[in-house]
Amino acid sequence: MRKIMITFENLQAEWNNQPEFNIPEEGGKIITKKVSFLKRKQRITNTVLGITAIMLIGFFFYIAAYRLDTVIYGLFLMIGSLGIRVGIEVLSTRKLERLNIVSNTKIFKEQLVAYYNKRIKTHYIVTPLVVLAYCIGFVMLLPSFKANMSLGFYAYIVASSIVLLIVLGLFVAKQIKNEIDMLKELKTQQ
Amino acid sequence: MVSKSSKRAIKVIISNYNNLEELQIFFDKVYQTNYPKVIRLCMGYVNGDAAKAKDLAQEVFIKAWENLGSFRKESGVSTWIYRITVNTCLLQLRNQKIKKSSNERVLEHITEEVEENKTTYEVQLKSMYACINKLSKENKSIILLELEGLPQKNIAEITGYSHESVRVRIHRIKNELTKCVKL
Repeated sequence: MRKIMITFENLQAEWNNQPEFNIPEEGGKIITKKVSFLKRKQRITNTVLGITAIMLIGFFFYIAAYRLDTVIYGLFLMIGSLGIRVGIEVLSTRKLERLNIVSNTKIFKEQLVAYYNKRIKTHYIVTPLVVLAYCIGFVMLLPSFKANMSLGFYAYIVASSIVLLIVLGLFVAKQIKNEIDMLKELKTQQ
Repeated sequence: MVSKSSKRAIKVIISNYNNLEELQIFFDKVYQTNYPKVIRLCMGYVNGDAAKAKDLAQEVFIKAWENLGSFRKESGVSTWIYRITVNTCLLQLRNQKIKKSSNERVLEHITEEVEENKTTYEVQLKSMYACINKLSKENKSIILLELEGLPQKNIAEITGYSHESVRVRIHRIKNELTKCVKL
């Protein structure tokens, strides 16, 4: 094996010798078009979320007009907890996008650490409460399912809900772990 | 997505130009002048993966367009765009799952190639990227800016550290890098 004495000047020369990247033609215009596209996409997402929320609320009141029992409370808990979770994610994404990207790295890192600290607090306090509310809501609906569905379909709903809960739980746990790792990495950088 | 504050900022900067067309011309110039610097810096953050670097560079210019209002002529376009680049790359930490062990594997593989006398330019560059990726994110930013030939005063301005601290860090990182890279 050959051993060569390396100096930083060697490395600098290597770095300077990198092949030049082609500058995309009309790159600036492509970027501004992309920004407009993203803006439109965001508007569509907001509209879809808004319509879904209105439909769910409408559905809830439609059902509520006819019956006022555990089914309503169960539905309220399930829809409400889902709505809160989606709302938290939407607000959180917006907050991340609004971090001051033009500040110096030290300040930007402080903003990121604060953001992730808040996210983790949400995961540890709000998320378990939301999941609990969702599960309670579901359990409240079970007697109604049992009374109105065949035994086979009822068993299917119960089993698939448990599987879904486990899958979602694992997904959320993975997300939490990623964010904790991210925070650790940000904090350990000197 | 363009936030309300970005829209306001764009309105402010438009008022300094005659219309949106002039603003686009200014942005095109910023893009053309700075794209090579931005993509080289991004390459350093993603272990030399050109496709990922291009995506990152696009993200950087999207943020630059959205934050045009924050640009102050006295700080210089380069410093401003470098600041956005470094922060965007820091932000992409959440998407990047390059574990330290994978860098070790790259370095082991490079050692084998060096032993087989395959000392090509690509191998050397790959080794440098892998060693840069072993550094902490902040040290990585500092050394990448140094390799790009930025004055230490500007590196201090971009990273938020004192000039003295940047000088000491650069000295330490240079030693670390020269020990790590296999040529």
